Amino acid sequence: MNLRLVYLHRNLTRNVRRSLLTCAAVGLPIMIYVLSMSVVHGVDKFLDNSAKQLRIVVTQKTSIVNPLPEGHRKKIEALDESKQRLTSVCGVQWIGGQRENDPTPLSVMAADADSFVSTMPEYELTQDEIDAWQKDRQAIIIGSGPAGQLGWKIGDRVSIVPTLPPYRAMEFHVISTAPKAPDNQSIFFRKDYLNEELKKDGFPEGQVSFFFVKCATKKDLDEFREKIDAAFAGSLDETRSLDEKTFMNEFIAQQFDLPKNLAILSGLTVFVAIMAAMNTMSMNFRDRIAEMATLKSLGFSGGFAFSLIQTESLLLCSLGGLVGAIVPFVVFTYTPARDFQVPLIQTLVVEWVTCMKALGIAVFIGLVAGVWPSWMAMRMHVVRALRNLE
Amino acid sequence: MSSADIEIKKLKKVYYKDKMEIPVLAGLDLSISAGEFVALMGPSGSGKSTLLHLIGGLDTATAGSVRVGESLLETMSEAQLTSWRSRHVGFIFQMYHLVPVLTAAQNVELPLLLFKMKSSERKERVKTALTIVGLGDRMDHRPNQLSGGQEQRVAIARAIVTDPDVILADEPTGDLDAKTSEEILNLLNLLNEEFGKTILMVTHDPKAAAHAKKTVHLEKGQLEREEFSNRQPMAAAR
Repeated sequence: MNLRLVYLHRNLTRNVRRSLLTCAAVGLPIMIYVLSMSVVHGVDKFLDNSAKQLRIVVTQKTSIVNPLPEGHRKKIEALDESKQRLTSVCGVQWIGGQRENDPTPLSVMAADADSFVSTMPEYELTQDEIDAWQKDRQAIIIGSGPAGQLGWKIGDRVSIVPTLPPYRAMEFHVISTAPKAPDNQSIFFRKDYLNEELKKDGFPEGQVSFFFVKCATKKDLDEFREKIDAAFAGSLDETRSLDEKTFMNEFIAQQFDLPKNLAILSGLTVFVAIMAAMNTMSMNFRDRIAEMATLKSLGFSGGFAFSLIQTESLLLCSLGGLVGAIVPFVVFTYTPARDFQVPLIQTLVVEWVTCMKALGIAVFIGLVAGVWPSWMAMRMHVVRALRNLE
Repeated sequence: MSSADIEIKKLKKVYYKDKMEIPVLAGLDLSISAGEFVALMGPSGSGKSTLLHLIGGLDTATAGSVRVGESLLETMSEAQLTSWRSRHVGFIFQMYHLVPVLTAAQNVELPLLLFKMKSSERKERVKTALTIVGLGDRMDHRPNQLSGGQEQRVAIARAIVTDPDVILADEPTGDLDAKTSEEILNLLNLLNEEFGKTILMVTHDPKAAAHAKKTVHLEKGQLEREEFSNRQPMAAAR
C-alpha cells in the first residue's frame, strides 16, 4: 500500500481511544441532527398535507380560545349555496381529555357528524366505519398514535374525561383507528353527543372552537377566506380565516415551535462537535511536534504537514459523521423502531437526503476542526520545535 | 555517491527573546572539504547546533554566507531550502526522531516519497540503506521493538537513503551507552570512508570527536581552533 496512506492510517489508529472518542463526539451530534431534521421534515410533510386538503380554518378573531357560535356554519355555507366551491363545512370543538386515573393528555375534539367525513377525506374511513360513525351517537375515531399507545381497537368501549365541560367521564365506542390519517394524534367524536352531555349538566351548548371549510380549488380557498371574514365583520363574533397550513404552523409555533427549537439544538450540537474535534486535533498535533519537525527537516513542505493534519481531521470527523448518519437511517428504516411515533408525525422517517446533508456537516466539522492545528503544523519552525520551545 | 564541500564566511546569527538580543554566531569563518568528517565541539551556547542548522538550511543566518557545494543558502527562499534539503542533506538527531507508528523500512522510505521514483526502486534503496547500517533483518520492526542503538541506525539509514552530499549529526551518541556509541561512530566512519560522505557532527564527547578527521572548537560563536586527528582509516585498522 502507498506509504502516505499507511502513514495516514497509522496516525488514525495511533491513539485508538482518542480517535474513537472523537468519532463519537462528532457522530452523536450528527445523529441528533439527523433525528431532529427528520422530525422537522415530518412536521413539514404534515403541514404540506394540510395545505393539500384545501381547507380554511375559521376561528374567533381575537383568540382561538374564544368559541364561535355553531350558527356561523349556516352563514358560511350560504356564501356558496351551489356547494360547488365551498364543498363542506365542519364545526369542531376541542375539549381535550384523558383516561380516568391516567394523566396522559389526549387531543379530543367533537366534530359535526354530518360533514366530518366529507371535510376530512384524508382519514380514508371505510364504508363500514362511515356507517358506524353516522349510526352510533357515541362513535369515536381514535388516532393511530393514542390507539397504539393505549391499546384501543375497533369495537372497544372507552371512557374519556374531558379537560373542558362537561368535565366528567364520557363513554364512547371505537369505530376506527384511522391508520391512514396524516394526523395520527387527534381523536374525533360526534358533536351532537357532546351537546347532549353539556345540556344534561347545564353547560352552554352550541359552540365550536373552529370550523373546517373544505374548498374545491386553491382559488376558492383564497377568495372565500376573505369573504368569510367579511361576512362576520362588525358582528359580536368576528372571525379570522386562515388556510390550514398557516393555521397549523401558527398553532405549532404557539405550542412548542418544534422546528425552530430543534434547529437551534442541532446547531448547538454541531458547534460542540467542532470544539471537541478541534481539541483532539490540537492534542494530536501537540503530541507530534517533534515528528512534524523531523518530517520538515527531511524536506517535507509545510503544505505536506498541513495536509497531513487536515486529512486526518477530515477522515476522523467523516467517519464519526458516517456512523452518526447511517445508524438512525438503518434503525428507523429496517428495524421495528420504524414504527416509533412522534406527535404530529405518524412515523419518524429518516430520509437519505438528510443523511447526506449530515455527512456534509461532518466533513465541514472536520475541515473547521483541522484548520488551526494544520496551520500550526505548516508554520512550525523546525529548529524551535526540535528544541521544544514551541 | 555524492559529496560536497562547505564554505562559511562571516556567519552571524542572533536570536531574539523577549526583545533581548542573543548573539550565537559572531562572524564565523570555516571551510570543510568534500569528504571530510568534522566534529564540532565547544561549551553549551557556543553555537554548535546553530551552525549545524544553518548549514542544513533549517534556519537562516542574520548575516554572512553559507555555501554547500554549488548552493548559496542565503539566496534561497524557504520553499527552495526545503526542496534543497531533501536532495542534499541527511540529518541525524540525538533522539532519533523516528515515526513511532511506522516500521524501520517505512521510516527509511519516508524521505524517498519526495522523489519521483518507482516503488520497487524505493524498496531496493531502503533495503540497501538498512543493510549498510546492519539492520537488514529488522526491516519490519517498529521503533518500540528496537534498542536505542538500533533506532539510531535506522535514523542513519533514513539520512543516507537519498544519497545526500552532506550528513549533519547533532550529538548522535548523546543518548547511547559507550559500546553502542562506538558502533554508531564506526558506522559514521564507514559512511565517510567507504561512501565518501561529508559529515559534520556536533558532540560534547572527546572520544566521539576522536573518530572525526578534524575537530573544530567553537567558543562564544567564533572559531577557537581546529585540530586534525591522526586516527587511522577503518580499512587500514582492519
